[in-house]
Amino acid sequence: MSGAVWATSGALFAVGLATVVLRRQMLAMLLGVELMVAAADLALVRGACRFMDPEALAAVAVVLAVAAAEAVVGLSLILRVLRSGRGLDAGELSELRG
Amino acid sequence: MTQCAIAAAGLGAVAFGLAMLWSRSLYVGAVCLLAVLLQTALIYMLLGAPLLGLLQVMIYAGAVMVLAVVTIMASGGGPSGERFADFSLPRPLAALGVLAVAVELALTLASTRASAPTPAAAGLSAAFGANLFHAYALATEAVTLLMFLASLAILPDREPS
Repeated sequence: MSGAVWATSGALFAVGLATVVLRRQMLAMLLGVELMVAAADLALVRGACRFMDPEALAAVAVVLAVAAAEAVVGLSLILRVLRSGRGLDAGELSELRG
Repeated sequence: MTQCAIAAAGLGAVAFGLAMLWSRSLYVGAVCLLAVLLQTALIYMLLGAPLLGLLQVMIYAGAVMVLAVVTIMASGGGPSGERFADFSLPRPLAALGVLAVAVELALTLASTRASAPTPAAAGLSAAFGANLFHAYALATEAVTLLMFLASLAILPDREPS
């Protein structure tokens, strides 16, 4: 039963990765990135509690805050793309495609 | 009892994650991600890190998910034409990847079944708080400033006069 947390973390990371790779909408891809960060945080918390390490918990708190800031920046970028009239589909953004 | 609760919360989190992957509506996807984050916050509390669980609920459910829902509202929120990208990966390779994930999960469960989870020490949360606001106070302030600067990115541009 102790492996339930590790298995949950691995499964959530795999689902988040699949969301980023497979979905077309930029918002869904950003939600997938958040899912991957949550999975990594879960593994960190499990390790911190197992080894009684408060510094690792502090690191998780910092990662949480940085992930929130990254999400806000990602959402603002998506809003700017929307304002330019190009929709939510990631395939529409082709300026940098060679 | 705690172990069963952790397993149930983990199963719920994975189920909502899969629902997020397969849902056509972005609203449903955002709500499913919110459910996943609440389940992981519950796991944090059950593992002995209640402060982190509360931080996760406050930061994600109280701030990030609200912004995500507002962005979905601004985009119309409706499903686009295609849900998934063109899947150019060969099917045998994709099946091999799924099989590898399943084997990894099975091996993880098998290798850690013998060791029961140790309950977190009572003073872990106090030590965590002390670390956050004493030893890592500068990092905490820097991250707070980063979050404030990131929140400025959502502001609209000033229209040229």
